[in-house]
Amino acid sequence: MAENPVKAARQSSHWVYRHNRVTRLTHWSNALALMILFMSGLQIFNAHPHLYWGSTSEPEKAFFSISATNDDGDPRGYVELYGRQVDTTGFLGVQQGVFGPSARAFPSWLTVPGYYSLAAARRWHFFFGWLFALNGTLYIVYNLAVGHLRKFFFTFSDAKKVPAMLAYYLHLRKKSPQDSEYNPLQKMAYTSVFVILTPLVLLSGMAMSPQLDVAFNWLPAAFGGRQSARAFHFILAFGFLSFTFGHVVMVLTQGFVNNMRSMLSGWYKEKMPTIIEPPVKALPTETVIAEESKIAAEHAESQAQAPHSAVPDAKIQATPAPKTPDADLSTPEKQAEKNEEPKS
Amino acid sequence: MKNLNPKLSRRNLLLGTLQGTGLLLLSGCEKVFDGLSRNDKVQSLLELAEHGSRRAQRLLAGRNKLAQEFSVKDISPKFRSNGNPPPITMDYATDAKNQWTKWRLDVSGLVTQPASFSLTELKSMPSRTQITRHDCVEGWSVIGKWKGVRLEEIMNKVQPAAAAKYVVFRCMDTDSDGTNYFESIDLIDAVHPQTILAYELNDQPLPVDNGAPLRLRVETQLGYKHAKYIRALEFVANLEKLGQGKGGYWEDQGYEWYAGI
Repeated sequence: MAENPVKAARQSSHWVYRHNRVTRLTHWSNALALMILFMSGLQIFNAHPHLYWGSTSEPEKAFFSISATNDDGDPRGYVELYGRQVDTTGFLGVQQGVFGPSARAFPSWLTVPGYYSLAAARRWHFFFGWLFALNGTLYIVYNLAVGHLRKFFFTFSDAKKVPAMLAYYLHLRKKSPQDSEYNPLQKMAYTSVFVILTPLVLLSGMAMSPQLDVAFNWLPAAFGGRQSARAFHFILAFGFLSFTFGHVVMVLTQGFVNNMRSMLSGWYKEKMPTIIEPPVKALPTETVIAEESKIAAEHAESQAQAPHSAVPDAKIQATPAPKTPDADLSTPEKQAEKNEEPKS
Repeated sequence: MKNLNPKLSRRNLLLGTLQGTGLLLLSGCEKVFDGLSRNDKVQSLLELAEHGSRRAQRLLAGRNKLAQEFSVKDISPKFRSNGNPPPITMDYATDAKNQWTKWRLDVSGLVTQPASFSLTELKSMPSRTQITRHDCVEGWSVIGKWKGVRLEEIMNKVQPAAAAKYVVFRCMDTDSDGTNYFESIDLIDAVHPQTILAYELNDQPLPVDNGAPLRLRVETQLGYKHAKYIRALEFVANLEKLGQGKGGYWEDQGYEWYAGI
């Protein structure tokens, strides 16, 4: 992580060191782990593509199935939910392969490994399950210690701002109610992943283990039985998928380069404080490097010409000046992190 | 707003590129993971998780905690069977008709008193009855009521030597290639209070589909460990000389030896 000579300039032009090293490391190893867990999980599901509520799996009681029929040599794949069927031939249930159609719940391009192997999928799944759990522990312990978690922990006062933030995203409101580094919806999303999705996906996974069920008889019962735990595990996996989808959309649309840079190097360009000054002063100065001056110029222009435009970058510019200009620079931990950085 | 257009098209370009790479990655992904799944070094790295799971789970479970036992009303209407078809030899078929008068359980290996038991002898020993859930590695579960003799009772009779670490189950069923089924568990699971050699399912003599005349119940582990159609037990110090050396029929096909997860 080479620090360049413009660091001083960066700081003076509102660069914030947003993500510490542990956060960045665990973020990317988690991204890999979640991808492999999801895809190997689909392969494991393929071994018995039906879901049930309760302890056992009486065949006629499945509430969800991905299956195939082969009437008159015409293989059709379908998804069934509470008795309602949707034909999904070619995607789910029946896949088109080099050797013609084959029965398969999730297609090979969505599973790890691609070829059918429950044994291999389980090995991938449990290795990355451990990685996911250890990763999460490292992240939580470290960030609790340095006080980073506080920044986006959803609180009661954030809850009150959720409707306003939603209205702002839906263009029904011009002013963002955001008053700190993360907005209320971001806090809600991240906090729910930490306190709901992650513990539940781990516990429902563990509830499928016979040995852990011996250790904790209440564990499968807490989900309504082992098959219920399996169903929850499946549904929660799709909860992670939707979170990841939303997360990636936000990263792509809310300043992709800035977001990626901050998760790779730690440095995020904080735009809110710039509007404390009149727009004219946000024009390039001698301390700003060429690349940044271009961005700054665009911001200044867009702000000057379309102060309340719907374009995301301009949106942030249009945010009223927060009472505390930069919470990041104001805390001692943050300063400590900044000091730590050049050593890396 | 003019100045925003180049930015938007740049964004579109970026999105397009990402989408393209995403699709490429996805199709490449399959090949990469297929390759990695067949690579022995990668696989032995992934197997570290199996050892971690065994140690951690055993630590949490202790030695004597019991698997949940259910009530009669929880018993599944049909106890699903899986795996190899029942043995097809004439000996097996005639013996099944004659209530297993010829069948004997041979116990050998690292024991001070090798022995052989008839089914009647096993049934005359102290028994344990338990209504437990059977979890298949594929994902399904059934509940059944089992009656059998605790494996520890057998061990008390044959006295395993100090060097014995595992008990191997030799089975009568074969796959389509003629390979005999076999399984193994270590002595920690062997002496678990619910580890039994079952001869009854749901108050009936063990049906042929479920492993007649005798099958293993090891409630701390998944279904494939529960060897059916048992003909002999063998106490051994290690698993290397069995089959391909992984300790069981499915283990030789890549499944974990420790199936507590």
